[in-house]
Order: sequence, then C-alpha cells, then structure tokens
Amino acid sequence: MESDEKECRGVDDLLIGIAGTGGDGVVSAGESLLGALAVEGYYGLMTKSFGSQIRGGEASCRIRIAATPVRSAGGTLDVAVALDWDDFLKFGAELPVDGRTTVLYDSASGVAPDRLPLAGVRPIEALAVPIAEIARASAGSDKAKATVVLGLLAGWFGVARHALRNGIRLKLARKGEDVVAANERAFAAGLAFADEHPLGAPKRLAPPLAAGRKWLADGNEMCASAAIFAGCEFFGGYPITPSTEIMQALGRDLWKFGGAVLQAEDEIAGVGAAIGSSFAGRKAMTATSGPGMSLMTEMLGLATVAELPLVCVDVQRGGPATGMPTKSEQSDLLQAVFSAHGDAARPVLAPTSVADTFHVTVAAFNIAEALQTPVIVLSDQEIAQRKEILDPIETSGIAIVDRRRPAPGELEGYERFRATESGVSPISQPGLPGGQYLASGIEHTEAGAPTASGAVHARMTEKRFRKLRALQARRDLFERRGRRDAAIGLIAWGSVAGVAHEAYERAEAEGLDVQLLVPRLVYPVLEEVYREFFSRVRAGLVVEQSFQGQLYRILRMFVDVPPGVQPFARPGASPIAATEIVERLRAGALALQRSHAAEMQPVE
Amino acid sequence: MNFKSALKPIWCPGCGDFGVLQALYRALTAVGRPPHEVAFVSGIGCSSRIPGYTTAYGFNTIHGRALPIAQGIKIANPELLVLVAGGDGDGFSIGGGHVPHAVRRNVDLTYIVMDNQIYGLTKGQLSPTSRKGLRTVTSVTGSIEQPFNPLLAVLAYGAPFVAQGTPADMAGLASMIEEAIRYPGFAFVNVQSPCVTFGDHDWQLKAHKAALEKAADRGHDPSSRIRAMEMAQGYGSELVTGVFYRDPEPPPTYESLVRERQDAVRVDAAERARILEAFVARQAGEEVA
Repeated sequence: MESDEKECRGVDDLLIGIAGTGGDGVVSAGESLLGALAVEGYYGLMTKSFGSQIRGGEASCRIRIAATPVRSAGGTLDVAVALDWDDFLKFGAELPVDGRTTVLYDSASGVAPDRLPLAGVRPIEALAVPIAEIARASAGSDKAKATVVLGLLAGWFGVARHALRNGIRLKLARKGEDVVAANERAFAAGLAFADEHPLGAPKRLAPPLAAGRKWLADGNEMCASAAIFAGCEFFGGYPITPSTEIMQALGRDLWKFGGAVLQAEDEIAGVGAAIGSSFAGRKAMTATSGPGMSLMTEMLGLATVAELPLVCVDVQRGGPATGMPTKSEQSDLLQAVFSAHGDAARPVLAPTSVADTFHVTVAAFNIAEALQTPVIVLSDQEIAQRKEILDPIETSGIAIVDRRRPAPGELEGYERFRATESGVSPISQPGLPGGQYLASGIEHTEAGAPTASGAVHARMTEKRFRKLRALQARRDLFERRGRRDAAIGLIAWGSVAGVAHEAYERAEAEGLDVQLLVPRLVYPVLEEVYREFFSRVRAGLVVEQSFQGQLYRILRMFVDVPPGVQPFARPGASPIAATEIVERLRAGALALQRSHAAEMQPVE
Repeated sequence: MNFKSALKPIWCPGCGDFGVLQALYRALTAVGRPPHEVAFVSGIGCSSRIPGYTTAYGFNTIHGRALPIAQGIKIANPELLVLVAGGDGDGFSIGGGHVPHAVRRNVDLTYIVMDNQIYGLTKGQLSPTSRKGLRTVTSVTGSIEQPFNPLLAVLAYGAPFVAQGTPADMAGLASMIEEAIRYPGFAFVNVQSPCVTFGDHDWQLKAHKAALEKAADRGHDPSSRIRAMEMAQGYGSELVTGVFYRDPEPPPTYESLVRERQDAVRVDAAERARILEAFVARQAGEEVA
C-alpha cells in the first residue's frame, strides 16, 4: 500500500543535470526552470559549472527540486541531459550517473541508447531525442534546443508545466515577441514529444507540499543584500571570480542608501579604501577570492592593530595561485585564520547555504563593529554562485550592532586605545571634536602614540586578543543535531555542511548512533563546544572540500580530537556526496562494534 | 589654531622634514580648519611619522598604502580635509601603483611627498629617486638605475595641481602647501627634503638654497600642462620650486560625483529594511514567472 501511495504522489526529490556547449543556453534554461519551480512552491537549488573559456566551451547545471527545503546540490543524477556527449563527459564527477539515472540526449549525436559513453554504467533508461531537429522544426533555430529540453522535462517528469511557459515568456520578453513565440513553440514541441513517448521507467515529481511564497537567490547576491541590511556604507574591491557578483550587486544598490562602491586598482587598494572608510566612521567591507586574500594580508593586519571594524568576504575557489577559479574548494581556511604576521587573531565565519549567507554576513558586521576588528566570511564558489529557492528570511528579530563611540564625557582626556575590561575601547572618528587620535599599524600606547616598549606591546596584544573572548558565548553560531551521547561524530563547515546534514539524516534513519556539529564560527576555535561534542564520540569524520582537511588540523591544535575521528577531505571540483559520508559513518560504526566486542572478550 | 602635538619627532637633527612640518603648521593655520576636521594619512618611512606630530586625526598606515586609505576616508566623509604624506620610496616604489589611480579619480587630497632620494628609516638604501651613480649600502659601486621623475609622472597621470618646494624656502613651501590644500582636487607637492644622515652630501639644504630657482621668476605659465612637463624634465639636474601646473578649470572631484550619484538614486532610509524584498523581487521579475 505504501509503495502505491508513493507511486501516486510521485517523488519528492528530483535531481536533473544538463550539459551542453556555452551557446546552448543550458544555464539559462536551468534558471528558467528553477524560477518556475519557485513560483509553484517547490524548494530547490541550482549549481552551474563552466569550462574555463570566456565564451563557448562546455556549460552545465544541476537542478535539484524537492518538496521540502534542501541543503545540498545532491549526489547522483535522477535525470541526465546531454545536448552533447563530449561536453557532458568533461564534467565527470560533477554530473555523476548510475543505474537509476534516466538519460536523455540528442539523437543527432548518433550514439545508440545501448552504447552510451558512460564507462560501465547502464542507466535505467536512455532516450535519444531529436532535440536539434525539434528545435529547428518548431522555432526555426538550433538556439531553441534548451527550450525543447525544458518541454521534455516538463512533459516527462511533471516539473512546472504551467509556470515554465510563463517563465519563458517573462525571461525572453526583452528579446521581442518573435523570440518569445519561437521559444513557446519549442517548449510545446518538447512537451508534445514527451507526451507521445511515455517513459518506460516513469519518474514524476510530486506536487509541492505548500505553495507558500518563496525567494530565489544566490549566495553572492544574498551576501550583498545582507551587507546593506547590516548597514554597510562602503565597498572597496577588485573583480575576481567567484566573488565579483558581490561588488556588482552592491554597485547597483549600495548608492541608494547613501553608500559608495569603489572598484579599486587592486585588492590592496580595495581593502585599503574600506579600512579608510571604517576609520572615518562607516561600516565597510571588501570581497575577494584566494589570490585577493593573499594580497590583502598586510591590510588585514593593519585593521587588527588599528582596531578598525571591517568585513572581508573570501569566496573560496580552487588554489593555490590561480588554481581553479570557477571551481569550489574549502582550502582558504588556514589562510583566513593564520595569514598575518605577528600575533593576530581574527574571527572567521562560514555560511553553509545561501539563506545562511544572510545571517552569517550580518553576524560578521555585528562582530566587526562590536569588537572593532576585521572579520572574515569564508564563503565558497558552491554557495556563492548556486541559486537556491528558500523561504523568505524573517529579519524582524535580527539586531544590528554599531561600534561603541565615545560618550561626550569620555572625550575628556580621550585615549583611543584605553584599556577596558572587555578590551573594547570607545572609538572616535575624524570630524568629532576632541576625539583626535593617531591610528597606526605601528604598536602604540593607549593614547595612540607609537612605541617600541615591550611592556606596552604585550599589554596591547593581550587587549586585542581579550576582545575576542566575547565570542566564547556565541554558541548560537554552532548547530548541533542528534543525541548528545552518540558515539559517532560528524563535523562539517561551509557548503559541505549541507551535504553533511543530509548524510546525518540518512545515517540517523538507518539507525546509526550519530551526532552532527556544524560551526559557523570557525575561528577562534571554541574549545568548550568541541570538548563537549567529543566527550562521548569515539569515531567520526571531519568533512571538508580540501586536500589537507584544514579544519581537522586546526581543531587538533586546540582540542583533543578522538583518534577515531578522521578527516574526510578531498580537493575541489569533485563534490562530496552524502552517500560517501554515510558509507564512512557505517564503516566507523562497524569498527566501533568490533572493538567493543573485542573489549568484551574475557581476558585469557 | 594649534596643530603642534606633544609628540617629539624621531627625525635626525637637521632633517629636512622638520622644515616640512613647520611649513605644514603654517599652511594649516592659514587655511583655518580646526584640527578635528583634518585627517592626515601616511605610509611608512621617516617622513610618514608626520601625522603624529599634528593635533589632527592621524592614520600612520602601512608601507605604500596611504593613498587608497586616504581615498576611502575622503569618500566616507567629503567634509574632511584629507592630507597624505610619505617619502619617495613609499609613494613611488612600493606604493607607485596607487598614484595614477588616485590622480585619475581626482579625489580631493593633498599629497605631500618628502623626496630625499634615499631610504632613511632602513639606513641608507637606494630609493626610486636616487640619482644614477649614487653610492649607497645597496649600490656600493654606484646606482646603475635611472631615477624616477615624480613631477613628470604625476603630470602625465593627469593631476590638476603639481608643485615642488624645499624647506630651504620655508615661506614658499608654506604658501605652496596652503595653495595645494585649497585646490579643489588632487594636489601633489613634491618636497625636496634632504636626509642629513644618509643622503647625498652634495644635496643638502645649503645646496638647495644655492640652486633653487622660482618657477615664477622663470616666467613659467602654470596653466599649461605641456610647459609644466617641459619644466619637470629638469628634475634631478636643477631645482625649480613653485607651482608647475594648476588646472585653471578644476575638473569635478570624485567625491562630488559620488555625492551626485547617491543623490540621484537615494531611497528612503526605511527602505533599508526592505532591501531583501526588493532584491528578491528584482530577481523574480527577471527569472520567475
């Protein structure tokens, strides 16, 4: 009965991957699809991936559609669409196919359905469709291939049939009625083809559970709007993939709120102007990726020593040096935490999703202002450039923090870096009578005078670290799931945390004794949180998209990580799937059982 | 107006920078803005200590980066009088990449370079403006590099105000800095400020006095960039002081254009709370049916 019900309702989670050449409009089609799904009330997300060419070359997108909120881009494809096999195969692990995948491709490729170029994989169904031919016949152009695919997807898998038609109209309206009409014909032709050729192994998407209003956003846009919400008034930066959209979004909107955006001559000048703006009393930020972070290192140290609030977003990509600019990786953690000369520590926060990027960015501004220090937001390409359908963010309860300015009485004998219990001193700004001081990168006294005194240096260094103690109370920046005494522990941060959440849910459903910890405050390491988490953990994983397993290594500097907890780390462009995590958790559980059994053996 | 702070300069006795500081006090007093409305930004080097010796807001930043930080300050608060100072190494070696961009944006800054043709703080190495043949601890047999010409470069970058002075002529230097401050746009003052300890012994204040020639006495027309560039060619072989170039029609400043753009698109402050809605609506308009 249960399975019948499922047949009726259809699947709640469908993952579609489409690949073609740059001009095929694959990504644009994916965006239309995701938009239509949002209108219908589905949740979902879309990741896109490109070759390194400026134009042309291969392009792909993965669209995951679900009835309930999703946290990751998913694993193996349910539906794979290859407009061109060469292009499709270039994405390798980014578009994985297995025996449950329905594959559809252009029959113009001449590939026989039983001879797909998918090493050793036999998909559940392979459909050769004359996609280009249908496009030409219906719309008079090969350019409509992606629209034909949308028709096929709507027809075969029940995705957003009506909303898609409207979506196409809306998206193409600017291109004129002829283009709209041609694409409508292409969509209808795809739909008709699907209706005439029913699937052998049907997969239909269940209707959404509730058609509440949804938002559609990517991480970079979300970061920009969060900055505005938090009161950011200045952005200085330099274009760099995959962070540029933050500058672009702010360049469009920040002016409306009396702010300004400076596209500087390099990253050093970008962050420098932001520091200048902060010195002058404004909330300021910069955004960049790994190479830009490298250039900004000295400036970040200056902001630390001059005790100036600053938010620096690093949208991570594959590194080092130029690395893989369009691919996601989580390999800048050590850089974010440690790339400073001298004794400097700065808070590092990491969002785990597009929606989370909002909260984390606002938190970063609040911490920067409250503690008068630079704060790094470690986003990554996956989150930054994926589009997510999400519930509207409730912002009414979010507090906005401003820096502690001197009260009029405090300007009497004002000392900018006066010692306080919290380490935070009231900060004045140019224009304020009586608040004059010298900000400096050189070590300084409480009054701001340059010094080479070891005693003062020790005191001021301690002051700058003392400020960070306030973060010890920020348990709200950690997420924990599962029984507190579970023996298997799973830790993940950044975009991979979404995958870990899903792995946790599956492992838990399987009956594994597992608990999950996701830090959004990655540094400083809140030792107490980890000690508590590890207290009953005997096996587990720290999951990261990097070669070294950088969080794992940092944790080992500060806490006793149980020997059974191991890094599960892999460099970028080879996404980590939930199934892989679950497999490892299972193996961990088994090993625990064995060792437990061994302990139970009577001693000879 | 008292611009002299309680801090005692670290400079060597006889350093040209003392004269620059005195000239600056005079200029600031003449301009008449109170110290709290002045932001004084510097990089790293002997001369970059100068903001601390004033009662203005100061920012002694990092090597070569004073200009980007100063631009951020001026954009943040255009009401401020923003001064930038540093040495020739700070401005034209490590920070050389920032100068053309500060100039082309035409942010209303006064940039004073104390050009001593040597690295003093690190005890006597070659600087970008050291003359060819100069023996230093990093050029023991004499420099084999051509010096950088700051006047010619900044003129070529398009600066609307370029001048050169020396503390050997205090009155001239003070009025030149005052004029630079009053000029509405990026103003560059190259000050020949000799290093008594590590500098060229033949190029100290005494030699400046003997060599200096006022641009006005040459009948120089400061409204012509071409004339100014011709005169700037003499950098390194002669000492001409005064205003080399003053754009008679000051171009709009960057911060005025910033203000214009802000005013053109400004929305109600209450809209800030709705920014999210607004941006999602925009996405929806483009991409959602």
